[in-house]
Amino acid sequence: MNMNDRIEAMLEKVQKAPRYTGGEMNTQIKGWEEAPLHFVFCFPDTYEVGMSHLGMKILTGLINDQDWSLCERCFMPWVDMMALMKEEQVPLFSLESRRPLKDFDVVGFTLMYEMSYSNVLAMLDMGGVPVERRDRGENDPIVVAGGGCASNPEPISDFIDAFMIGAGEEVMLELNRVILERKEKGWTREECLKRLAQLEGVYVPSLYDAEYHPDGTLKSFRPNCPEAPERVMKRYVDDFDHAYFPSKVAVPYTEVVFDRITLEIMRGCTRGCRFCQAGMLYRPVRERSLETLVHQAETLVEATGYEEISLSSLSSGDYTCLPELIRELMRRMKDRRVSISLPSLRIDSVLKESLEETQQVKKSSLTFAPEAGTQRLRDVINKGVTEEDLIEKVRDAFQGGWSSVKLYFMDGLPTETVEDLDGIADLAKKVVAEYFKVPKGERARGLRVTVSCSTFVPKPHTPFQWAAQDTISVINEKQEHLREVLKIKGVNFNWHAPHLSFLEACFSRGDRRLGRVLKRAWERGCLLDGWNDQFKFDEWMEAFRDCGLDPAFYANRERSREELLPWDFLDCGITKDFLWREKEKSDRAETTRDCRKGCNGCGIQRFKGLCAYADPKRAGAPSPSLVPYEPEGGNA
Amino acid sequence: MRMLGVFEKSERVRHIGHLDIQRAVQRGLRRSGLPVAYSNGFNPHIQVTFASALSTGACGKREIMDVKMAEPVSEEVFLRKMNAAMPQDMQLSSARAVDDRHPALMASLKAGIYEMVIRDPRQADRLLPAIGPMMAQETIPVARKTKSGIKEVDMKPLIYALRGEGQKLYATLMLTERESCKPNMILEGLKRAAGMPEEEEVRMLVIRTQLLGEAGDGGLVPLETL
Repeated sequence: MNMNDRIEAMLEKVQKAPRYTGGEMNTQIKGWEEAPLHFVFCFPDTYEVGMSHLGMKILTGLINDQDWSLCERCFMPWVDMMALMKEEQVPLFSLESRRPLKDFDVVGFTLMYEMSYSNVLAMLDMGGVPVERRDRGENDPIVVAGGGCASNPEPISDFIDAFMIGAGEEVMLELNRVILERKEKGWTREECLKRLAQLEGVYVPSLYDAEYHPDGTLKSFRPNCPEAPERVMKRYVDDFDHAYFPSKVAVPYTEVVFDRITLEIMRGCTRGCRFCQAGMLYRPVRERSLETLVHQAETLVEATGYEEISLSSLSSGDYTCLPELIRELMRRMKDRRVSISLPSLRIDSVLKESLEETQQVKKSSLTFAPEAGTQRLRDVINKGVTEEDLIEKVRDAFQGGWSSVKLYFMDGLPTETVEDLDGIADLAKKVVAEYFKVPKGERARGLRVTVSCSTFVPKPHTPFQWAAQDTISVINEKQEHLREVLKIKGVNFNWHAPHLSFLEACFSRGDRRLGRVLKRAWERGCLLDGWNDQFKFDEWMEAFRDCGLDPAFYANRERSREELLPWDFLDCGITKDFLWREKEKSDRAETTRDCRKGCNGCGIQRFKGLCAYADPKRAGAPSPSLVPYEPEGGNA
Repeated sequence: MRMLGVFEKSERVRHIGHLDIQRAVQRGLRRSGLPVAYSNGFNPHIQVTFASALSTGACGKREIMDVKMAEPVSEEVFLRKMNAAMPQDMQLSSARAVDDRHPALMASLKAGIYEMVIRDPRQADRLLPAIGPMMAQETIPVARKTKSGIKEVDMKPLIYALRGEGQKLYATLMLTERESCKPNMILEGLKRAAGMPEEEEVRMLVIRTQLLGEAGDGGLVPLETL
């Protein structure tokens, strides 16, 4: 049987064959010969997860819109498919042309969460690409990666030739152009990588060396050739309002996690929650104009036929013209029967009138994220929300006909005590009480308060990047306590075992030695770690032992101010000094104001014209630990 | 008015289940911008029905969607706008405007014509010669899964026609709301008649090439022309 017949035979046996067959609306792309550069966009998780990801849709659209490049897609197969592929010796193939990954010029991964790293190794191996970058030859693809986790690329740097740091919309094409030029001019792999390293926002790990102190901490991290810059600057989109946006996005046949139009209304956040990596990394805050958003919504509704639009950003309630935007979208979408939903509402910014307006179209459960149970702890994490705020919004919701409320919290936050845990239960009780204050005839029936608690993972580029994560046994005790105090009528409590969060903590702040652990774990069969039924914690621990590394060194150790951190060579906009100032304020349970109320000097003010709220006077006091950087012309 | 659209479910999308095909058509209708009718109620949806559900794994050459329009449109416009709005693997070949009182397709459906491709030519060589002997049997008992378990049925009265050629079987099989004969029942019957072990796996591609309804003179005609 030829390859295609073998694939067809496998598809008859697997569950959810449409994960592998492609051909969805708006994915019909040009033929292989029509473009000289072939890119395969790999999402290291299943189809249903990947096809819910806006960034993937933007970047595949962008690459396909260039007449000199084409972009196909590939997802992590499920275990049944992997077993058949192994049996039938079928390499991992792209959905569109069914070619193995090794046939492409560029294999690109998006790194959304640390626990997808083992899938990256598995996909490379199944696709016929040498897993470790040092084993790749002149004819192997260039393997690149970007996404949120690239803000600490070190743990996965043994497997990736080049990382894109920051927004991918522009650097993606620059990178592809260099790789196309290599193809035309016959540069060696090494020369190509050195040229890539000169692009702003590109990090080529083979061009840097790390040395360690006897205690395991990083001693030095330096480029090993003149082509590689000392510090790698993150990329920004020059003009967010007019940034590339695909006019046609794929519409999956089967149900995926987020099966609707996502409108990114804003990038960045001014709140400064200290645990939130996205809030630090995606600074400065930039809004899309109402005109652009309405245009995008109409274009997408026409191109996809979706029934629902969700507004997405870190803090949609902060969007300046939110009520106007919602009103305008509803006005235009009413006849087309398209509903508008608002996720990730922040409790202090929900406007009563927009609540009432969304309700007209669709009434689902409302989500609030107080994150911590007491005001003291909320001050520590700078979650600028008070109990009164929450209760007021919940009251509005119950009076407005909602009966289902979700409350998100974290356990294991720095300085957390039993009082803070009890505070979660107190808050839940008060929410329940608000429901019963609404007269019986007026309130919606079926009260449902869901309290979800996730385990805090300290992240790089946040004020908690120096903090120790609670050990697994401490988290277990805390969760046991929460289960006791949350036995409240009308309240459901959701929690997750802390093991995955522990590993996530290792990899989010790991150094490049963790590449060995990753490889070992993958050899031991670790895969699809984000899926509960596939996660093999014990194998991961064995992998650490095999490599002579202690996971607690990465997860549970508090770092000092002086320690050289594995991601210090990246300039992600905010300075280490700002983060340290924030850490000290957090120790004193002191809050920091919202940037919209005045510049806090996070480091973005060093870039002329980048942040609308920056105070140029603060630009004179940059962090001494930083190489001063003067952007030419600025990013208006 | 209603519009009967004849569409293909090609090989690439044959693993898409009926519910997903329905949703793909609904989204196609939304993209087309055609004046389709919506149901009333809290969660309005497009009023579209299908003559028959096609099983997951099977292709269809001439499946039929039945769309209620809010305003009249011409067949040409419907066809053009839908083909611009549907994926390559689900294109329409014809459209026919009918009156609201036109009988429901599901009620008029009598039979389906199937093409069944036996993937392994050696198996085809063993199975096809069994067609004659099987059809000569007085009854053709096959096991059929029902809600209450597996029961034996005689499929002989459900087969209008059956012939073979090369690796292909061509079958016209009863397909009504009350009774129907599935392509895999034919395969099962042939395996029995050919003396092929029950557990022997036979890979087969099923293509439904036409849906049929009953004409005034009792003959079977393409359902969309009825």
